[in-house]
Amino acid sequence: MEFLLRYLWDILQGFIVTVEVTLFGAFAGLALGTLLALGDLYGGRVVSILIGAYTEFFRGSPIIVQLFFFYFSIPSLLETTFDAFAVGLVVFALNSAAYQKGYIKGAIAVISEDQMMAALSLGLSKIKAIFYVILPQALRLVIPAWSNEFCSLTKSTAALLVIGVKDLTSVGLRISSWHFRYVETFLVVAIIYLAWVTVVTKIADEVYERVKIPGIEISA
Amino acid sequence: MTEIVMECKNLWKIYKDIVAVRDVSLQIREGEIKLIFGPSGSGKSTLLRCLAMLTTPTKGDVFLRGECLTKPGVDLNKARARIGFVFQHIYLFHHLTALGNVELALRHVLKLPKDEARKRAMSALEEVKMEKWANYYPAQLSGGQQQRVGIARALARNPDIILLDEPTSALDPELTGEVIDTLRDLAKKGTTMLIVSHEMPFAQEVADEMIFFDEGTIVETGTPEHFFTNPSTERAKKFMMRLIKRTRRE
Repeated sequence: MEFLLRYLWDILQGFIVTVEVTLFGAFAGLALGTLLALGDLYGGRVVSILIGAYTEFFRGSPIIVQLFFFYFSIPSLLETTFDAFAVGLVVFALNSAAYQKGYIKGAIAVISEDQMMAALSLGLSKIKAIFYVILPQALRLVIPAWSNEFCSLTKSTAALLVIGVKDLTSVGLRISSWHFRYVETFLVVAIIYLAWVTVVTKIADEVYERVKIPGIEISA
Repeated sequence: MTEIVMECKNLWKIYKDIVAVRDVSLQIREGEIKLIFGPSGSGKSTLLRCLAMLTTPTKGDVFLRGECLTKPGVDLNKARARIGFVFQHIYLFHHLTALGNVELALRHVLKLPKDEARKRAMSALEEVKMEKWANYYPAQLSGGQQQRVGIARALARNPDIILLDEPTSALDPELTGEVIDTLRDLAKKGTTMLIVSHEMPFAQEVADEMIFFDEGTIVETGTPEHFFTNPSTERAKKFMMRLIKRTRRE
């Protein structure tokens, strides 16, 4: 496996790209997913239909098609080109938002209308009620689902190689094909993915435990 | 006569094909305590929610100190800030401590500075004798304690009136006493209240007027004395008999 040491720097570069895309995708997806969930629940019929269409597009088509769409189709319509890495960031954020919207909406449903009514009864506006009462509870509940989403998002980022982004998988493919050493290379690549996912999900578990509301849990 | 705090005129609430509230008119004056009672499902909760503008009445008007809340363009958040509401199922905010629950509206509705909000929230908790539990979360409190926090939350803003929707009926029988004691204290202080309740000894003690409610409307009103001795309608008579029997059993 010593030959891999020569490529340590390249592997690290690939790993950093993967880290950037997964973190950005998961957090931007959380922020956008929260807005989508709120729009869907409180935004009225038209907004809800538009959000439904958005969600269907990103959940209903392969991630590779989505990458092609944003990397080839849209720029060709606009007669321009986009940076592959930027496309990667955007597509994974948009894609993850579509999934996270569902989780957040579900968490808000668990909290139910009673909490909203109690907040309104005090004279809070709907927006303040969402901000001070609904979201603090929903976002706590959604941490385990976010953690799951992070795992699956991380694995999908391997698709970035189809638009030429030099992520971990793409770097691994290059090294292994130069040396015809597929076994060792992808073993190492897989272990790096596993380590990354493990670290982040452990942190998420820890955060979940720390911010947990006494007595309120999602039953497994 | 003292000022009318809350009033509704010819109030209706109709859901698709169910009439929940049918042509109800009533007034509550400063310092008055009125008690609504009647069979379950008769629309008492809906009436209270309409008065607090938590549901929009289908027809009719609600007034708070003479200001009409049912005409378009009224700032309902402002109106609700002046009405205290206590729920049957309490609905404390799970993610906030007892103090946090009481403080929330003081901070973000009345917009008081942090220290002052905290002080007032603590004194509201003292009023319901829950100051020792200020830093506990709802799930760590008993039902009766939770409801006392619910009452503190409703009264901390010094609302013009407090509406209480069966504040004891979701509690275990041994826990109702502490909540009733709290309400008795409020009554002594002259708090204006409209209470839905079937706690008859309590009603007899504090209510200025009792309102018998059935099938979405007021059937009969009178003093506790009137209802305990000689209700005039057959329906009220039957219902009182059942309540008194139940109370004796307890």
